[in-house]
Amino acid sequence: METNELQNIWKNIDSEISLKTTAELNQLLTIKTRKTINKFLFIFSIDVIVCVGLIVFLILTALNRQSDIIYLINNSILCLITLTSLIISLLSINKLQNNKYNLSLKDWLEQRIKLLSRWLLGKYSKFYIVLIPLLLVMINLSIHVYFEYGPFLEVMKNGESIYGLAIGFLIGLFVSYFAISKIRKYQIRNLEFLKGLYNHLDNMH
Amino acid sequence: MRNKLDMKSLKEEFLEILSNYQGILHKVNIIYFRNASDREDNFQEIIYQLWKSFPGLQNKNSIGSWIYAVSINTSISKIKKESRIEYREKLPESIDKIDIIEELSLNEASQILLKAIYNLNEIDKPIMLLYLEEKSYEEIAEIIGISKSNVGVRINRAKELLKQNLNHLNHGN
Repeated sequence: METNELQNIWKNIDSEISLKTTAELNQLLTIKTRKTINKFLFIFSIDVIVCVGLIVFLILTALNRQSDIIYLINNSILCLITLTSLIISLLSINKLQNNKYNLSLKDWLEQRIKLLSRWLLGKYSKFYIVLIPLLLVMINLSIHVYFEYGPFLEVMKNGESIYGLAIGFLIGLFVSYFAISKIRKYQIRNLEFLKGLYNHLDNMH
Repeated sequence: MRNKLDMKSLKEEFLEILSNYQGILHKVNIIYFRNASDREDNFQEIIYQLWKSFPGLQNKNSIGSWIYAVSINTSISKIKKESRIEYREKLPESIDKIDIIEELSLNEASQILLKAIYNLNEIDKPIMLLYLEEKSYEEIAEIIGISKSNVGVRINRAKELLKQNLNHLNHGN
């Protein structure tokens, strides 16, 4: 088929498209905006509730155990890590919301690849491997020691306590690593897809 | 901070532009999504992304290019998320086994052309769309982000692949 013929066939497809009224477009925009805001608020609320809830628990339990120095140190470090995580996660959510689509295809691909690469392959991308076990141990200790109603060192001398903590830690570790590896695999697949498109575009030079 | 009145007039201006240019959204949607519900979802997403970037739109003379760029980028982002279509360099062996296009009542030639476009890769699809829409090399370069001299090369390659697909489909029928 010749070019003009193709363009004429395309015009035929164009003419078959049924257009929406301004009212329908307005309705679609309103629905989508509401959905996006609700989704954002849901993620934001879960993030804040979990982190702030944990911080409140850590502060209250620490106030009840003011004489147990090791317990206080454990809770203080945990509190600091949770607060930092909360700030980083809120900044990340904000960054995700500001994803710019009004760029040329090549610039948009470049921007997405840079962002995903930094998250998935950057300097701190594997930090979670160390952070998760550390957090799990500290959270388990904080909860367990508090509800054993004894000083930190005394509770740690109890064989049953160590056994229970170890099992809790292993289950938590498995669930956390499994969830994170699923998310990372999905994002890495996305990154590879975008890189493939970008290389295809770039190979033409 | 915009006040309510500004926001209302901004939205009215946006909806007027959208109403005039919505054909672009439909056409980008058609070349990327075979399924009506995917197209509807993506259509909504494009409208939202256009609305988000509308206040920052500097050059109101190139509204068409802006709408094409946002529509193409949003659609590719959606494909990636849904993981329904994979990036491919080579043509699949059986390109005629494609879902029937829903909703649109097209003649045979139009259906064959659409099927042939579906089988282009995700970069050649928008290039071929812009070419069929008779956009200038300058506009295509601006939307895709490549130099004007490369636009010709890309179009020729996409045309060649499209012809191969068309031959295959016509041969099969």
